Amino acid sequence: MYEAHQITFRTLGRAILHGVSLQVMPGAFTAIVGPNGAGKSTLLKVLANEQRPSEGAVSINGQDISSYTPRELAQVRAVLPQATTVQFAFTVEQVVALGRHGRRSSPAEDRAVCEAVMTLTGTLAFRERQYQTLSGGEKQRVQLARVLAQVWDETVYPRYILLDEPTSSLDIAQQQYIFNLARAVCARNIGVMAIVHDLNQAVQYADTLYFLRDGLVTAHGPAGQVFTQRNIEETFRCRVNLYRDPVTGHPYIIPASDPANRFVAVGK
Amino acid sequence: MNVALSLRDLRATVVLVGLGVSLLVATIFSLTIGAVSIPAGDVVVILLQKLGLFQGTAVDEMHAVVLSSIRIPRIAMTILIGGALGVSGAALQGLFRNPLVEPSLIGVSGGSASAVVILIVFGGPLSVYLAPWVYDSLLPIVAFAGGLAATFLVLRLSSELGRTNVAVLILTGVALNALSGAIIGLAIFYADENQLRTFTFWTLGDLGGATWQKLGFAAPFLIGSTGALLFFARSLNALALGEAEAYHIGVDVERTKKLVILFSALAVGVSVSLAGMIGFIGLVVPHFIRLSFQVDNRLVLPASVFGGALLLVLADVVARTVVAPSELPIGVVTAFIGAPFFIALLLNAKKKHEL
Repeated sequence: MYEAHQITFRTLGRAILHGVSLQVMPGAFTAIVGPNGAGKSTLLKVLANEQRPSEGAVSINGQDISSYTPRELAQVRAVLPQATTVQFAFTVEQVVALGRHGRRSSPAEDRAVCEAVMTLTGTLAFRERQYQTLSGGEKQRVQLARVLAQVWDETVYPRYILLDEPTSSLDIAQQQYIFNLARAVCARNIGVMAIVHDLNQAVQYADTLYFLRDGLVTAHGPAGQVFTQRNIEETFRCRVNLYRDPVTGHPYIIPASDPANRFVAVGK
Repeated sequence: MNVALSLRDLRATVVLVGLGVSLLVATIFSLTIGAVSIPAGDVVVILLQKLGLFQGTAVDEMHAVVLSSIRIPRIAMTILIGGALGVSGAALQGLFRNPLVEPSLIGVSGGSASAVVILIVFGGPLSVYLAPWVYDSLLPIVAFAGGLAATFLVLRLSSELGRTNVAVLILTGVALNALSGAIIGLAIFYADENQLRTFTFWTLGDLGGATWQKLGFAAPFLIGSTGALLFFARSLNALALGEAEAYHIGVDVERTKKLVILFSALAVGVSVSLAGMIGFIGLVVPHFIRLSFQVDNRLVLPASVFGGALLLVLADVVARTVVAPSELPIGVVTAFIGAPFFIALLLNAKKKHEL
């Protein structure tokens, strides 16, 4: 289990997170949703050990995160940012192979893993191309392949991937592709935690949902149970209508046009 | 996949071997040239004898003396300095994710130059108290200390809570270089004719002062720092993704940053202290390797060692021949070769949208 316990994070005299606790289970998809400025990205940075929390602790598989060396940490958790620029003309397969940095496996093993994840992400066909020349969707799939290459090895301990709005600039097909893949790799004893921008996608893919607002968890639990009109409206301060797909029964929302909504009243 | 990767490994090996052989040929050619022209065959025989790989004589005694006391230390120093400048440029460009970085940017050259000009202009009274050989060896030591001090200052000013802010680091380097420009200007203002000449020649670079004694002092530092930088190839590859991403895949980013800067400062500081300011090698050579072959630092770093050494050896040949029996300052030659070559590379890369 990947666990954040009572995380408080202050910077420049301002608290961004107030005692946030969160659990990411191996083999499951955990999504974090919340308005801009809720502290989602900061929480992800603290979870990744990029930022030290002011108070509270993060542990992975029962061991405090500060006891991991960077390399050990890289073997249990990988991070996929919103977008990644690569300096210098590296090829796709070179970028994917970077994911193997923290492993001390044989070149043959590394090659087999890279090939497997490139096949899975549909990037094998353009592995010789330069990363810089790819489209946004292709780039993100290459980065996902790199992240998967990092935690692909079947180990006795569970591994985790942290995704920071991984589909924010992608078209709808690419979004589904990325989330389907992330969902599918849960089966390899991998826990997925994703900050998800689109609420309907969050409920479509997540097992567990966390609502975050002003650095506080406003609601959390099994996605089907906490995806309620009330939780969404209180977290996002926006009127929504909740519907159910007549075929699958999946819930989805459409923002309601509300003349009283202060965010809409821009034009006066 | 197997085929593709091993092809790439093969290409990398071919590139390295090619550069190594070119360096060897250039070295032998360079050793034949000078006031006394020595046939290449004799050069090879004398080199093999020195290495204890070949017995027998039949070689002109004077040639052997010229080679072993003048030309071999000079070419050895040229190769070590060229290699050190090439690899530090490559490593710093990788570290800062910026293809325009060169060693002078972290303050090394400016620091060295300020320290040297101060010694030359204001250190005169010291020569009264110190033995001549101590006073002579002061110049490289002061240059090295100045370079290292400037780098530490830049690193210190740009670090907060153990993290180095790259933007602040580069800007601090710019500020410090401006400051050293002012110090140099001030010293020159107070300098007399003789001091001015000494300093001017030092800033233009000079490989002529090589002796076995100087080499014995400098070689361990140059070889050590060059060798140490080669170990960072994989981490520097990871840094191409960005600092946070490199940390995510297991690189100890802060440690890498500090060590790469330190070893580069050492390599460049020692080079500057021996031969003065030699520009362009650290900037041009890594670019040439990346644009001509590939960007993987496991190739770029070692190839920059060979490439830097090769370029400096060739520049030295030009410097010693075009105005013979006199000699051009080496820095002038590297800039004359380097600048147009660099512009050609840039134009080519621009056309292919590689920059």
